[in-house]
Amino acid sequence: MFQKLIAESTAKSPWLFHINSGSCNGCDIELVAILTPRYDVERLGFKLAGSPRQADIVVVTGPVTKQSLNRVLSTISQVPEPRCIVTMGSCPQSGNVFKGSYSVCAPLSQYVHVDVDIAGCAPKPEAIIDGLAKATKILKEKRGRM
Amino acid sequence: MDFPFVREAVVKLFSRPSCNNYPFTPREAAPNYRGRIVFHPETCINCNMCERVCAGGAIIHTSVKNEEGDDVITRSFDLGSCTFCSTCADFCTRHSIELTQDYHMIGIEEGDLIVSGTFIKKKPAPKPAPKPAAPAAAKEEAAAPAAPAVKPRGDGKPAQDPDKCVYCTICARKCPGEALTVDRKEKTWKLDEDKCVACGTCADVCPKNAIVI
Repeated sequence: MFQKLIAESTAKSPWLFHINSGSCNGCDIELVAILTPRYDVERLGFKLAGSPRQADIVVVTGPVTKQSLNRVLSTISQVPEPRCIVTMGSCPQSGNVFKGSYSVCAPLSQYVHVDVDIAGCAPKPEAIIDGLAKATKILKEKRGRM
Repeated sequence: MDFPFVREAVVKLFSRPSCNNYPFTPREAAPNYRGRIVFHPETCINCNMCERVCAGGAIIHTSVKNEEGDDVITRSFDLGSCTFCSTCADFCTRHSIELTQDYHMIGIEEGDLIVSGTFIKKKPAPKPAPKPAAPAAAKEEAAAPAAPAVKPRGDGKPAQDPDKCVYCTICARKCPGEALTVDRKEKTWKLDEDKCVACGTCADVCPKNAIVI
């Protein structure tokens, strides 16, 4: 009985964990902007979690630099299944202008399965809300399969 | 005791929230917002200037020959690699690239973030017969002495005016197809007609207006 209640509640309120993998800070600022009273994603249940172990959705920004790659992967591996990995901005999807650099391990999708890509450089806060809404749907499907 | 913000707290309690109710009330982007790219393949002339200026390397094209020998060119823009700097649209001489205000760019499956367009570039072959007669006189190297002001060739390709030309080589450097060869010492100006895509960049950049289209 409680299990069902917990499942319904967690589906309503996915917690975010934000990883900066060498981002220029543009995307990070936009992600913080969606938590401000202006956009206020907390009314949709999203909440920034302090630890990857409590998170449901991982938001990765930045072009995944060589130094951050192992840290990003170990942080993602600490997020319990079912999890949803969201890349934000062009950098983690392709490397953007840092493509081909010796210190950039660009597409994150070659290391982990990425569920949602939010395009933009940096994406508009509304686009991030759209992307997170899609991620919530995917999370729900994954929970259903488990 | 003094409660300084009681009045404001009561007023805010009954006023509208300052939050914009985004997913439930749609919102338009600000004017001149650079969002999703729209490509108009019907006006593209495949000069590849966009690919040259793209910082993120987001623009690629593939070229396939069809049975008639024409090039079928597909140009695609990877929005997942784009900086939305609008340089491609600024450099496009034919205004084939447009950055719209659509910011809903979410990719779930592969290909969601690819914008592409296909067009057919006709083979330039069936023209050698009527060609040499007319334009040969108009488009001349510096060797031809005192040619009057050049006439436009009529096919969109550049013609040089040897009187005005100072052989600064800017046109050759700006030519996206590398169709122009300009030698400063020899004072020659040559056009490779197969490579020329008639984009008009050379005429735009010529500081002496020595190139007519």
